[in-house]
Amino acid sequence: MATQEKVDAVIVGAGASGSVFAAVLAKAGKKVVMMDNGPDWQSSDLISSDIWGRRVKPAGAPFILEGKHPVSMGAQGGWGVGGAALHYFANFPRLLPNDFRIKSEHNRAHDWPISYEEVAPFYDKIAHEIGVSGDAAAEELWRPKGQPYPMPPMRTFRNGQVWLKGFEANGIRMVPAAVGMNSTEFKGRAACIYDGWCHVGCPIGALANPLVTFLADARKAGAEVRAWSTVTRVLTDTSGNKVTGVEYYDRNHEKQVQPASVVVLAAWAAQNPRLLLNSATDKHDKGLANRNGLVGKYLMTHFASGTNAMFDEDVQNHMGTLGAQYMSYERYGKSAHKGAFGSTFIVAGSSIKLSGLGGLANTRPDLFGEALHAFVKRAVKNLARMNAFGEEQPKIENRLELASEKDEFGMPLGRIIHSYDDNDTALWNANFEEGLKIAKATDSKEVWQGRAAPPTIHLMGGTIMGTGAANSVVDSFGQTHEVPNLYCAGPGIFATAGASNPTYTIFALSLRGAEHLAKNWSSVAG
Amino acid sequence: MDAMERRVFLKRAGMGMLAFTVGGADVLMTPGQARAQGVPFRLLKAHEAETIEALGETLVPGAQRSGVAHFIDQQVSVSPGEALLEARQLNVKPPFINFYRAAIGAVDRAAEARSKRRFAALAGTEQHDFVDAMRQNKIDGWQGPAGSFVYLVLRSDSIDVVYGTMEGYEALGVPYMPHIAPDKRW
Repeated sequence: MATQEKVDAVIVGAGASGSVFAAVLAKAGKKVVMMDNGPDWQSSDLISSDIWGRRVKPAGAPFILEGKHPVSMGAQGGWGVGGAALHYFANFPRLLPNDFRIKSEHNRAHDWPISYEEVAPFYDKIAHEIGVSGDAAAEELWRPKGQPYPMPPMRTFRNGQVWLKGFEANGIRMVPAAVGMNSTEFKGRAACIYDGWCHVGCPIGALANPLVTFLADARKAGAEVRAWSTVTRVLTDTSGNKVTGVEYYDRNHEKQVQPASVVVLAAWAAQNPRLLLNSATDKHDKGLANRNGLVGKYLMTHFASGTNAMFDEDVQNHMGTLGAQYMSYERYGKSAHKGAFGSTFIVAGSSIKLSGLGGLANTRPDLFGEALHAFVKRAVKNLARMNAFGEEQPKIENRLELASEKDEFGMPLGRIIHSYDDNDTALWNANFEEGLKIAKATDSKEVWQGRAAPPTIHLMGGTIMGTGAANSVVDSFGQTHEVPNLYCAGPGIFATAGASNPTYTIFALSLRGAEHLAKNWSSVAG
Repeated sequence: MDAMERRVFLKRAGMGMLAFTVGGADVLMTPGQARAQGVPFRLLKAHEAETIEALGETLVPGAQRSGVAHFIDQQVSVSPGEALLEARQLNVKPPFINFYRAAIGAVDRAAEARSKRRFAALAGTEQHDFVDAMRQNKIDGWQGPAGSFVYLVLRSDSIDVVYGTMEGYEALGVPYMPHIAPDKRW
C-alpha cells in the first residue's frame, strides 16, 4: 500500500456535484484530486447510438436491489468521469418554495433547513455559468421572480406541439421547458442541432454535461482527475473527529491512501452512504457520520406516468431533444390531486429513438413478432408522448445498508431496499388519469399507457440535510454534522424529492456548498 | 478513457463492428456478417445459439439474420464494462453469460415439458404462443429467471440488432442523425 502526497481536498466522484466542488476549490487555489472508479470519458467517446451509449452506464454496479419497487440502478447511474450527468436529459426545472417546507405546511415528511430564497441565487448563477435555455418570466407563473435565462427557449417540434390542445382543454398551462442546453452558441460551445441523442451523451458540447462545464473549469484550474480509482473507505484520525483522507484501489488494483485536509463524497446517493457505512472505526462503530443511524435512510425516487399517443400526421419524433420542449408546474401543489399527496411536474415533447429502454419499441412492451414490426412502422412517424413525474414521500424504511457479499475490492455490496406506499401509487395513478384526459383532448385517436409498475427514476436521499444531528446527516452545505471536514454532495443530501428533475438543484446546492467551504476553508480544514 | 483505449473504441464504433475471432485472430465485422460467415461462437454452445436465434426471430422478425446470437455471444465474452447489452441497464449481475445460460435453460426445459421438444424445434405458431405465455409468467413449472424478464432482455437484444443500428433506421426510413456516426451500420 502506497501513500500519496497530501492534497487539500479529495473529491470522490467526478460527476455533476463533484465537478462543481472541484472547480470552486481549485479556483480558490486548493490542491484538488478527484477520484472516479470508471474511465476518463471524453466528448469524443459519446457515440450516437443507443447500443454504444450503454458504455457510460454502470455494469454490475455493486448493489443488491430489493423491495417492492427496486431502484433502477443500471439505467439511472453513471460510470466514469462525468457520472450520470454524462447521459442525463438536461431538463432543468427547479424545486419550488413549497418543496422546502412540507412539514410546516402539511405536517408530513421534512422541512429543508433552507428556503427556496436561499437556493434561488444559485439557480441563477448556475444558469449563467453553464447555460440554460428557457423562459424564466413564463415560469414565474408558479415561482418567485428571478434572473432571465441566458438563452431563449429551444425549438419546438410537432411531437411536442400536438399536445398543447390537450393541455389547454384541461386547464394546464405549458411554458417552454428550461433545459441545460444551448439554443444558441454559448461561451464557445455549439448550439444544439436537435438530433435527439441527448441520452447517450452530447459530444458537441451543446448539452451542459460536466466535461464541458465545471469539470473543464476544474482541470483548467489545476484539479487532477484520477480515473479508474475506486475509493473504499474514508479515513479518520485516532480521535475520530477529523477525516484524514481516503483509501482507494488504483487501476492495477493496488491499494493506495490519498491523504487530504477535506474529503467530499460526491459519488451519488447510493455510493455515498455505502462509503460512510464502510468507514466504521472504533470511534464510529456504525459508520462515519452515522451516530444517529440515519446514513442510508430516506432514499427517494420519482415515478413517471407516461402517456403515448399515435397521431395521423408525421410528428418527426426522431428530432428534437430527449428531455422536454414544454413543461408545467400546474399540478405542483402538494395537494393538487385529491386523495394523493405530493407534487407533479409535467412535460411534453421529446425525440424518441427506436431502441433502448425508453425507445419507441418499448412503448408497447407487450408486442412482439409481426405485431411489433407493424407497430414500429407506424410509430416511427406518428408516435408522441407526454410525462408526469410524481414526488415520492420520504420513508425511513427505504434505505441502503451493507450486505454480507463483497465486491472485487473486498468492500461489502450495498443493499438498497425501496418500495412505494399507497400514497405514492395513488399519485402515480392520478397522473395517469389526467394524462388520459389530456391525450383524449388532442387530435389523437389512439392513446395508451404502461401501468405495469411504477418506475424508479432518479435517486435522492440517503444522506439527507437537516437542522442538526437529531434529524439528518448533513447541513444545508453538505457538511456532515459529525465530522466537520467531511462533506456529502449530490442528490443524496436532498431532504425531500420534489417532482423536478434533480440535476439543476444538484448543481445549485453544490455551488452553494462549495463556495461556503472555500470561504470557510481554514475553520473547516483546520 | 485513455488514448489507447479510445483509439480501439473509436475504431470499432466508427466502423460499427465488434471483434469476432476467425482463425485465431480478431476480425471486425457486424454480427450479421459474423453469422453469414459462420464465425464460431466464443462461449455459446451450438444448441444455446440455436435457442437464442429462434427466440430472437420470434420476438423480432429479422433478428436471426441480423446475428442476434453472435451479438450476444460476442458481448458476453468481453468484460462487463465493455459490454453493450441492455442487460447492463437492467441490473443483470455480471458475468452476463450466467443470465443467458439460465434463461436459455429455462426456455428449453419449459418447451420440452410442454411439447417434448426444445424451443427451436417448435412450429412457428407454437413458438409464438410459448413466448406470449412466457412474457406473462404463465408457464407452469417455469424454473429460472422470470419469464417476463427473459422476454424483456431477449426482446431488447433482438430490437438492438434489427432496429437499433443505422441499417435498421434506414430500413424504416428514419433519419439517423448522428453526432458521431457509427458509419458502418451500428
